Amino acid sequence: MTDSTVAAIAEDAIAAERAPRERRWIAVALVAPALLVVGLFFVLPLVLSAVSAFTAGSAFTTAHFAKALDLYGRDLAFTVAIVMLSTMLIAVAAIAIAAYLTLGEHPRAVAILRWLYRWPLFIPFVVTGQVMRTFLAKNGMLNHALIGSGLIEPISAQSMLDWRGIVVAFVWKQAPFVTLLLAGAMAALERQHIEAAQNLGAPRWRVLVDIVLPQVKGTLLVGLVLSFVAMLSVLSVPLMINPNSPTMITVDVAYRINTFADYAVANALCLLSLVLAAIGAAFYLRHAVQQNTRS
Amino acid sequence: MTLAGRFATPLVRALLIALFAFAIFGPLANLVLWAFAEKWYFPSKLPLEYGFTFWQRVFSPRGNALASLGTSVWIALLTVAVSLAVAIPAGYALARLKLRWRGLILLAFLLPQAVPNLPVYVNIAQVFYRIGLAGTITGVVLVHASHGLVLAVWIASAAFASIDDSLEEAARNMGASAWTCFRTVTLPLAAPGLMASAIFVFLESLDEFTGTYFVGVPDVMTLPLLMFNASMGGNYQIASITALLLLVPSIAFMLVVERFLKADVLAMVGR
Amino acid sequence: MKLRSLLSIAALGLAMAGTAAAQTTLNVVSAGDQNMVDYVNNYLGPKFEKMNPGVKVRAVGTGPGDAGSQKIFEKLEAQQKAGAASWDVDVAVVHQRGAATMVEDKLLMPYRHDVAAGKLVSRDSAKNALGANVDGYVLPMFHSQIALAYNPDLVKAPPKSFAELAEWVKKNPKQFGYNGVKGGMSGVGFVMGWVEANSGMRDTLEKGPYDPKAKAAIDKSLESLKAFNQYVQMTPGNAGTLDMLNRGEIAMGPVWVDMFYTWMADGKMNPKVKLTLPSPGLPGQPMYYVIPTKAAHPDLAKKFIDLAESPEVQADGIVKQFNWYPGIDPQYVQSKMPPATWNKLFTDISPADLSSKGRPFPLSQYFTDIVEGYEKVVLK
Repeated sequence: MTDSTVAAIAEDAIAAERAPRERRWIAVALVAPALLVVGLFFVLPLVLSAVSAFTAGSAFTTAHFAKALDLYGRDLAFTVAIVMLSTMLIAVAAIAIAAYLTLGEHPRAVAILRWLYRWPLFIPFVVTGQVMRTFLAKNGMLNHALIGSGLIEPISAQSMLDWRGIVVAFVWKQAPFVTLLLAGAMAALERQHIEAAQNLGAPRWRVLVDIVLPQVKGTLLVGLVLSFVAMLSVLSVPLMINPNSPTMITVDVAYRINTFADYAVANALCLLSLVLAAIGAAFYLRHAVQQNTRS
Repeated sequence: MTLAGRFATPLVRALLIALFAFAIFGPLANLVLWAFAEKWYFPSKLPLEYGFTFWQRVFSPRGNALASLGTSVWIALLTVAVSLAVAIPAGYALARLKLRWRGLILLAFLLPQAVPNLPVYVNIAQVFYRIGLAGTITGVVLVHASHGLVLAVWIASAAFASIDDSLEEAARNMGASAWTCFRTVTLPLAAPGLMASAIFVFLESLDEFTGTYFVGVPDVMTLPLLMFNASMGGNYQIASITALLLLVPSIAFMLVVERFLKADVLAMVGR
Repeated sequence: MKLRSLLSIAALGLAMAGTAAAQTTLNVVSAGDQNMVDYVNNYLGPKFEKMNPGVKVRAVGTGPGDAGSQKIFEKLEAQQKAGAASWDVDVAVVHQRGAATMVEDKLLMPYRHDVAAGKLVSRDSAKNALGANVDGYVLPMFHSQIALAYNPDLVKAPPKSFAELAEWVKKNPKQFGYNGVKGGMSGVGFVMGWVEANSGMRDTLEKGPYDPKAKAAIDKSLESLKAFNQYVQMTPGNAGTLDMLNRGEIAMGPVWVDMFYTWMADGKMNPKVKLTLPSPGLPGQPMYYVIPTKAAHPDLAKKFIDLAESPEVQADGIVKQFNWYPGIDPQYVQSKMPPATWNKLFTDISPADLSSKGRPFPLSQYFTDIVEGYEKVVLK
């Protein structure tokens, strides 16, 4: 993935020179149908709503953005913090699980883990929100289990239905997705290097850090970027766990629409959220370019 | 290793696995309990009564849950078909051919995932009513496909990129046409990655309700719509039951695809 | 064998196509809880179909709260803007704000004077929605009210007024919960009640005229709400308040009465939990039946609503099945049922309390000022 994206950016100019004209047309023709689907059924409607974020009557204005930033600036920061923290935790969880699936020495443990980790993949976001709400609450199942096992005192049981609940829900739901991608990439690595290192007596964590991870970095990044943008645009999880201030931008978008029918500010918030997503994606692209120039 | 250590390691391993199992199944247990709970309130820690009343409500002949489930699966399958049909050529071109603005094109597919999509779907509805796609399966499939396409295109392009050039060249040198070469060499090699993307597109489609509402309802009704309304309204029993119902096609699809793939499902992705 | 099963499938398909052609589908799209959809699907629909052979009633939900009404508005508006000849919604069930916007945008047709049951409604809310004139366009399906739900095991003497409530939360911190303004109308309604109680401008807020200068008084009462909030637990949404009552994490909170009874009927609320209306009151609102301007089957839609508003259906469906306040005037419904069933409606809140402390929502402009004021004063 990385290599291809990268190559793309770095070689764009040269490529255009070098490739015979008709082959370039073939490439365009092959990409066109997919671009058409996204363009017609998403980008075009998106542009239509973007227009309303910049207009009042028929005049150009930035007032909607000013209002959005004034009322929801704190929520924007909160959103960024939540999504970044979740992305990092997802990365840690996915690396840990995928690494054990690849390097684990206990076949039965590996098999159990492989069977276990996937389940949240099949649970939709809205249901994730619902189960976490009843699981993480003060008198929820988690605290019942902790109290029942004597790990905490009933008096110290607390509700996690705030930013923590959102993070837990995101990590629970998205980590298996990244793990699935990552474990696949790790499984496809050439075993000789790993085995050679292990024969030399390198500890497993060194094999992971020095040999495995560098080779699957691209896959990891793809999974993380996809998770990052998905979490930015999910409404149901924050709505069910913590729609109160501070909350995530998607809740504010729904609130502007449902309470005030205020599409202008809602769309301004959407565009701000898009900027955040673009920053995430750009980070990935930049990393990809660096990778390419190094190799 | 000390004697204590020898016993400690398996113990720690078992403990870690148990903890992990709790993290995964704890929340899921909640789902299953609510699906069968008839009475459950403070201060009881577990349901006071179990039963099938809510299952009867979901499956009541006029509730149309099974028909909606059928529609949902049909839409998801069509979405996979449409996505793969356009993603395979696009992925191939993005990975193998010289293309201007390749990075930007790849990012364009990310857009539908990156924006809170409620305000956008309002506009889509308007366009679809105008061109007669509203209330049709086709319309819903197109909306789902545009949403899931990033997974299909990114993963397909990765799958094609990871194939060794020399295999194709060998085939071409033996006189195979470009099409034959693609059909007999490239495509089979990329198949595992493509299948993996199919799983994700399928799951995306089964998780979608906003687009379905604006484009499909009332003529096209899917189970996630019911699940979303029930869940947001706090009808935990009905939401849990519909979620469990949706698990069936998801897992079945995954098993079919995996069986078909044998090993190393996602070997190619991201490389 | 294979051929035969194929043939039978084909025959089945043909049969289905045949029945489909003979049938007219009446699309009923409902905001609000899933049980309102079930009510149409399982109770009203079959009744109507029996009276009108060849008609099939199809009910769809759009989700709880104003979000559900907004989604119906968006769908109708999309069809209006697209210039569709006939729209795919015949009957819609919406909240007050939704109805007001839809009337303003010419998305609805007046029908009240075309149906017999139109005469059974005399309440102000059948003509006026938050200051907008909706006379003729709406009939109330049922009336709902926001009230404080409390667990009598934990709250021996529930507060009788907002002032008492403010004292109570200081003695019982984090035992009262509500859902702010972003999580649904029960929280919004509580904020409205607070402002009416603490600004001393109840009549102005409910009846107008609108004066932007009132913002200062509104913001001042919101300051006191900010202080109140320190002792309060915030809940995730309308259902979130009920959810925390369900698990005993809060002892008291504002809820929609109809949702409250649904939760109880679904076994998610301790039957001991009770309701109370603190003075000077909390807002309530009806759910309205409306007919879109270009409904495909306007005549059937009117017939359907006429049935839904008949005293028999209101008595048997709305009051008996759900324990909801009827949409039409009470005297028509009361006579259709035994007193015991009727009195169940007023177990916790007496008719007198309901009529004096069940308030309408403030006028639309004030409503906006209060909610945005909450964001600026309380949340910042």
